Amino acid sequence: MVEPHRDVLKLRRDWLSVQEVVDAVSSASCGATSVFIGTTREDVLDGRKVIGLEYEAYEPMAQSEFRKLCDVIRERWPSVTHVCVHHRLGWVKVGEASVVMAISSPHRHDGQQAMQQAVEQLKARLPVWKKEVYDSQEASWKENSECPWASNHKQ
Amino acid sequence: MTAQVTVLYFAKSAELSGLKEEELVAVPTPISSQGLWSLLLQRHPRLCVLQHQVVLAVRQQYVAIGDELVALGDGDEVAVVPPLSGG
Repeated sequence: MVEPHRDVLKLRRDWLSVQEVVDAVSSASCGATSVFIGTTREDVLDGRKVIGLEYEAYEPMAQSEFRKLCDVIRERWPSVTHVCVHHRLGWVKVGEASVVMAISSPHRHDGQQAMQQAVEQLKARLPVWKKEVYDSQEASWKENSECPWASNHKQ
Repeated sequence: MTAQVTVLYFAKSAELSGLKEEELVAVPTPISSQGLWSLLLQRHPRLCVLQHQVVLAVRQQYVAIGDELVALGDGDEVAVVPPLSGG
């Protein structure tokens, strides 16, 4: 019997559990689980230190874009079994995970390639924004170079 | 024809407009996405700093700003979408 696919995006205001995301994609038919963890980096910009990030999302559209993203991934890598993403909203301090993603597949190659593409697509398409907040109390909105309408967009 | 739509502002566009959302009661339809953006610029001139680095979302679908015609219905959601920075 073919196992039904699970595609899950959760937008959360609390600390992310990598284990919870990994468990959400577990499957007896899968020999591989690929995981990506995106963490808020300690960074210095013009002498100001980043103390954290403030996230917001267009939540219903994030869900619909996530479903489209999963359709694109499955079309290219049909063996992908389950996909789960937990993404933070609100305040995330330096050192904490802001996104955790897991993909299960029978064999590792498909899962690893799908993960690479899924992270690119997430940064390019998911309606989520973050503002870097500095120790000087200033803040600036970030732009992903993967986003086609960003000023720093790379082809 | 006109339509009553809800406009949502996110990230920098919310800071520039000073609003998270507003109701527009008589938006002409059909309208080009450029026409819709111009209408929002008239209401909130500070949004012009986003010019050329913004798209709209109409009923949760991205629409580039240009000649494309958009048909609006009462209760539709239009969002101002500055460059994305998820992840």
